[in-house]
Amino acid sequence: MSEPSSTLADIPGLVRIENTGKEELTAHCMELTHAVYPHHQVYGQYCTIHEHVDCPPEQAYDYLRQGHHLEEWTCSLRDFAPTGTPGLWVGHDRLEDDTRIYCRVAANPEAMTVDYHCSWDQGEKLWMIYLMRVVPARLVLDKPGSVITWTNCRHPYYDDNPHPGLAPRPDRPWVGDYWDLFYAGHTVEMRNLKAILEHRHRGGLPVGSAPARTVAQ
Amino acid sequence: MTTVSLTDVASYLPGEPVPAEFYTDFPGAEDKLRNHPMFKVPPLRHHVAGDETNADMVERAVQPLIERHGAAEIRGVDVLLVHSQLPDLPFVGAGTEVARRLGLNPEWLVDVANAGCASFVHMVKLARQILTSTDAKTALICNAQSAAGQWFTQSEVRKLAQAAIPGDGCGVGYVTTSAESPVLDVETRHIGEYAGDMTLAVDDGRKYWEPGESQLRIGFTDASVAKVLARGNRLVPEVVMELCRRIGVASTDIDVLITNQPNRTFLRNWREALQLPAERHLNTFDAYGNLFGAALPVTLDRALSSGQVADGDLMVLGGFAHAGDFAGAVAVRWHGGRD
Repeated sequence: MSEPSSTLADIPGLVRIENTGKEELTAHCMELTHAVYPHHQVYGQYCTIHEHVDCPPEQAYDYLRQGHHLEEWTCSLRDFAPTGTPGLWVGHDRLEDDTRIYCRVAANPEAMTVDYHCSWDQGEKLWMIYLMRVVPARLVLDKPGSVITWTNCRHPYYDDNPHPGLAPRPDRPWVGDYWDLFYAGHTVEMRNLKAILEHRHRGGLPVGSAPARTVAQ
Repeated sequence: MTTVSLTDVASYLPGEPVPAEFYTDFPGAEDKLRNHPMFKVPPLRHHVAGDETNADMVERAVQPLIERHGAAEIRGVDVLLVHSQLPDLPFVGAGTEVARRLGLNPEWLVDVANAGCASFVHMVKLARQILTSTDAKTALICNAQSAAGQWFTQSEVRKLAQAAIPGDGCGVGYVTTSAESPVLDVETRHIGEYAGDMTLAVDDGRKYWEPGESQLRIGFTDASVAKVLARGNRLVPEVVMELCRRIGVASTDIDVLITNQPNRTFLRNWREALQLPAERHLNTFDAYGNLFGAALPVTLDRALSSGQVADGDLMVLGGFAHAGDFAGAVAVRWHGGRD
């Protein structure tokens, strides 16, 4: 590793065992360890939550990759129907009256990642992106079921609606106004997801359900 | 129930202040860690003299109490509790020697060997219990810490980053059956699960009292320091929050918080966890270093004499011991003005 190290030496600020003693490294990490962290520091720019779900990872992944299930486990996304664009659906976010939400699912079966690319009001640029991943709990927790992680990043549009003219009415609140409640809101939805998957898995039922409206293929 | 007050405190710091250079300029000193808050060297600390004992320090620390409350009052205490961080003798605690020096004849005398850096809280609780359940009316509680100038100045130990942090000192408290500065409540936890995690290292494997060349030091590994940090981070806010819950106040209602002061990281973390501004979390770390068990009464005494505690203030004193085997906090409504 001597060759890569010599190029790394040009990069300032790296903390590695080669330039920082073990004790110094420990002391540095101690300094970074606080007893409590303010909400904005933890969830201000990124919001990641995670949950163990007692349902096999393949089934959990299969449930998530079918976007119409959002109508079951989210608090307020309802009435999805296909748009004219393949893969792009439109529904209502009943968080606010008359608010349309567009959504496309990008799923990777090998990695068991399911990303929901969404946006309020328009389907041209999907910028509200919900990044989810299913991890076999056997690997990481040595127990059956799935670990599901969910990350949102604070896209600048959360703070500044790029198309206020597309709102159904001028006084409709903006989705980004809710950012500080995302940890709580997503936690509520994750608990819904857990409850649904565990209930159906425990009861030997199919975990998925048929879409209310079919895809125009 | 009889109300018990923390009526007064007093303290003694031995000798002239010893500057940080005593350690940082020492040949072979471990200095890589000095920039980190966990090991940042306090500018000053005090060291006991070579022939100074725990009983010597207590005797000196008690003098202001005698001046303020009268020799007869102090001689008449019914309860004497003494915690010596580094006992001068095996077998024999400092308590009876303290009693001899001060001319005390207490019905209750206990040399407290546990609760370390939070033993002041432990002793307030013991004193309150004795004062409320027996005929005893007054108690003297004493914390003597003399490890800095003796143990941490050994030629090999002095080079270690851990050596520059401690300081010596002694603090004493006068506890009485009175309603003047009432002890509102005490929360203490003895946590057996964490016992034994703080060890003394002697490199040649001898018992500490057996002859040999190796120098006794505190045997924290990096991994155990990480555990102790996590425990301390959790335990002190927990006992203070539980104390606040029991007396029906929010942590932000605390006017004066004084904790043990192992390092700046703990001070920062406890203040943050309890949502208190720095000016309400008093410490004497820069002047006296880590005073172990003496930190609570010494810092309180300095806060009182420098006018940092106002009449009617809600004071909370709290801390944790060793590797987390004890944590405690006491709340006092302060009305013990010194003017």
